[in-house]
Amino acid sequence: MSIRVLLAEDEPHIVESLTFLLERAGYQVDVETDGRAALESALDNVPDVLVLDVMLPELDGYEVLRRLRSDDRTKGLPTLMLTAKGQREDRETAMDVGADIFITKPFANAEIVEAINKLTSGQADA
Amino acid sequence: MLSAIIGTRIRQRRRELGLTQAELARQVGISAPYLNLIEWNKRRIAGGLLRRVADALGLTLADLDDVSEQKLLQSLNEISLAPAFNEIGIERDRISELIGRFPGWAKTLAAVAKSEQDATARVASLSDRLSNDPFLNETVHRMLTRIASVRSASEILNDYPDVTDDHRDRFNSIIYEETIALSDIGEALSVYLDRSEDTDRSITPIDEVEALFSARENRFEEIEDATRALSELLTETQPLSRRANAEALCEDKLGKFIEEFVNDQSEIETAAARKRAVRMLRNYAIGAVILPMEEFENEAKRQLFDIESLAEKFSAEVETVCHRLTALKSGASIPKFGYICSNAAGSIIEMLGVEGLNVPRYAPACPLWVLYRAQQSPETVIRQRTVFPSGARFVFVARARHVGQIGFGKPRHYVTDMLSIREEEVPLTVYAPDGFVSVEEVGPSCRTCPRFTCDHRVEDPLIE
Repeated sequence: MSIRVLLAEDEPHIVESLTFLLERAGYQVDVETDGRAALESALDNVPDVLVLDVMLPELDGYEVLRRLRSDDRTKGLPTLMLTAKGQREDRETAMDVGADIFITKPFANAEIVEAINKLTSGQADA
Repeated sequence: MLSAIIGTRIRQRRRELGLTQAELARQVGISAPYLNLIEWNKRRIAGGLLRRVADALGLTLADLDDVSEQKLLQSLNEISLAPAFNEIGIERDRISELIGRFPGWAKTLAAVAKSEQDATARVASLSDRLSNDPFLNETVHRMLTRIASVRSASEILNDYPDVTDDHRDRFNSIIYEETIALSDIGEALSVYLDRSEDTDRSITPIDEVEALFSARENRFEEIEDATRALSELLTETQPLSRRANAEALCEDKLGKFIEEFVNDQSEIETAAARKRAVRMLRNYAIGAVILPMEEFENEAKRQLFDIESLAEKFSAEVETVCHRLTALKSGASIPKFGYICSNAAGSIIEMLGVEGLNVPRYAPACPLWVLYRAQQSPETVIRQRTVFPSGARFVFVARARHVGQIGFGKPRHYVTDMLSIREEEVPLTVYAPDGFVSVEEVGPSCRTCPRFTCDHRVEDPLIE
């Protein structure tokens, strides 16, 4: 069974590219395009890794992660955060709420794939 | 107070005429060593002696006391104190000589420093804008997101030569759509930045307008002439309705005239300064309608320039009276009035006719000025007798008034109107202090103030 990535991102073109990339790398990708849906999906059916954009409608990425970290099912969920701002305070906020890796847009595709590989290393057959 | 470079001018003119110090000293009835001290700006010269020296040199008093040179001196003085030049060892005691002997270089230096200051202020305002402006934040975010899409899609096309035709078409069209969106964002951004051009320059429109008022000694005969007939149409007796009526008259009859007048003035270059000049001259015209010059001047002399009784007499507001006082031609029975208006944050929002008074142009003023204290007892006239570190003495007359709407629960905001009068001229006014009024030691601003032990100092002195 392949490793399941939950991609929480509201930019359709970025979703398309990341889905293509991650599927090519052997992952199974589920997509949610707002924060609330991403939170519910992650709690209902905990993914192996979460790729979480900061600027999401309904509930921003920080709040989503804060709530996931306070739930036993998802408190250890490996999470990569994405943001287009990239200022120091964004990185600090991301680390405060418990992101494992933080990457700023525009990113190199390889950077994302490597980060996910790292977060899932030790897990099955990616 | 006469310009601190007056001695340099005397020396220069004497040499041009080929006179020795001894010869000139004899003609004006002083000793040669004393003249030497005057020429090196180490003794002040005024009154009868100054007139005799001017006569002997074939000059007028105005030739010797050039207001623009005073400003230049003040600017160069501030430049010499800038922390950045601390190590250079600028010859601060020879600034007057620089202005006297090399006026072109002195003006260039002041202009370059001014433009550097403007540029720095502009960079600061832009960088502030970049980090705080919601539109820019949002736009930068959108740009980075679009760029991320383009980069990711193009990397896929580059890195995966085996993608299906469908995928290739799809990623090509993503790149196409995103680049269109990017160019739209770029265009919006450039329009936005262009539009902010004028507001950025508003850092210094005050200086431009000040130069215009200064060149005219705060008096605009064209507007005095144009408003004379309007004054007769003003029949209201209540200050508020009188002012409202004067405003309407000026708007109706002089709106265009003032705009055209401002367009013709060489001192006014930027759009922001033009806006400010139009606003200030409209205000000037309103003042001239409410307080027609001839009548006002006579009454002002009769009332010894008491701002409150003049306001009552003419059913005018005190600040209008203050403005009009600065437009009076000073002479034997009329002092030269300067006017400063400040808000509660201590920012000086208007200055008129303050030549000779050391108001810092690029730093906050001394907190000991009554200008600020007046806000503790609004609507009350407070007098302050001051002495500056240079020895110059001024009497300040300040009164805070509320601005904006009034009503229960609404915050009160005050601004202070302050008049400055040279102490030697203050006996002409109702504000003449008697012997018991103590003189308060004040300064220009902390940076340029040599009162090293002052308890109210907020910045280190830069004067040795």
